[in-house]
Amino acid sequence: MKRALTAALLVLLALPLLYAVAQLPPHGSPSSPPYAHVSPRYLERGPDEAGAENVVTDVILNYRGFDTNGEVTVIFTSLAAVLAVLLGVRKSTGEGAGVPDAVLPVSPVVSFVVRLLSPFIALFAIYVILNGHVSPGGGFQGGAIIGALAIVTTVVVGRSQAEALVPARVRRLLQVAAPLTFVCVGIAGLLMFGDYLAFPRAADLAWLRTAWLIAIEIGIGVGGAAILATIFWTMGEQE
Amino acid sequence: MSRAFDVTLLLLLIACALAVIRTKDLLGSVVIFSTYSLVMCLVWQHRGAPDVAMTEAAVGAGITTVLFLVAIGKTVRRER
Repeated sequence: MKRALTAALLVLLALPLLYAVAQLPPHGSPSSPPYAHVSPRYLERGPDEAGAENVVTDVILNYRGFDTNGEVTVIFTSLAAVLAVLLGVRKSTGEGAGVPDAVLPVSPVVSFVVRLLSPFIALFAIYVILNGHVSPGGGFQGGAIIGALAIVTTVVVGRSQAEALVPARVRRLLQVAAPLTFVCVGIAGLLMFGDYLAFPRAADLAWLRTAWLIAIEIGIGVGGAAILATIFWTMGEQE
Repeated sequence: MSRAFDVTLLLLLIACALAVIRTKDLLGSVVIFSTYSLVMCLVWQHRGAPDVAMTEAAVGAGITTVLFLVAIGKTVRRER
């Protein structure tokens, strides 16, 4: 009875959803609303106007920079929430204080390969971050790669050694790097051009536009990596 | 050809999604879930969104999987 009711409800729910999907404009159709108004403008003038050859970067960091500013803040807030929950649990149960690294035997193959590859992974991550305004990529992607690198390094060398690479005081600053650079660039725009997150518009200031974009990319990359690594370290901490 | 590729990827996605729910072994479930992310990554790439594909590969297949593994390590491996 319960199963039949569930199935019936699911079908009832699926019907309007499928109906709505059928109403969507066909994928890639040039006459559909999202492609008719702002897209042509982005594609035609984005590279000159917004400071990056990669139009995706133009949209997420310049045209819709305010949106991305909010997203970056959300990511930081999620770290704050994770830390609040995990550190709170540890404090209340009194466990985990001074627990050594998770004693996981790492196979020599894994250890060797990670040690061999990590400089190349780091180089690739830096390339992805810095090249984000020319080719697909950018702060979010590069940051995720650095975060993954920090995690595999932790697995091989142990947490305390990996954490020692980044002093605790610096770590705080790195975790907040993404919203911080965004707000700094935003306020610079406010002071210099009259609007929060206003980018320089004049043609002779193209270098400044690009410089701001790269600054934000680096901020997002470093901040994202620090957040991912911190979540992993905090989760691994309490036994 | 392109359509056949699309359909194959989408069928694989559905198969992975079902397998994730059906698997009682959480470790296996997580591994299948990372496969789901990899297939999704191919779908993004095929739809012309390399930016999203990179994020999906790094976060979806990589970091999420690791975080799930840590969480399983802290709890139990079998679903009750």
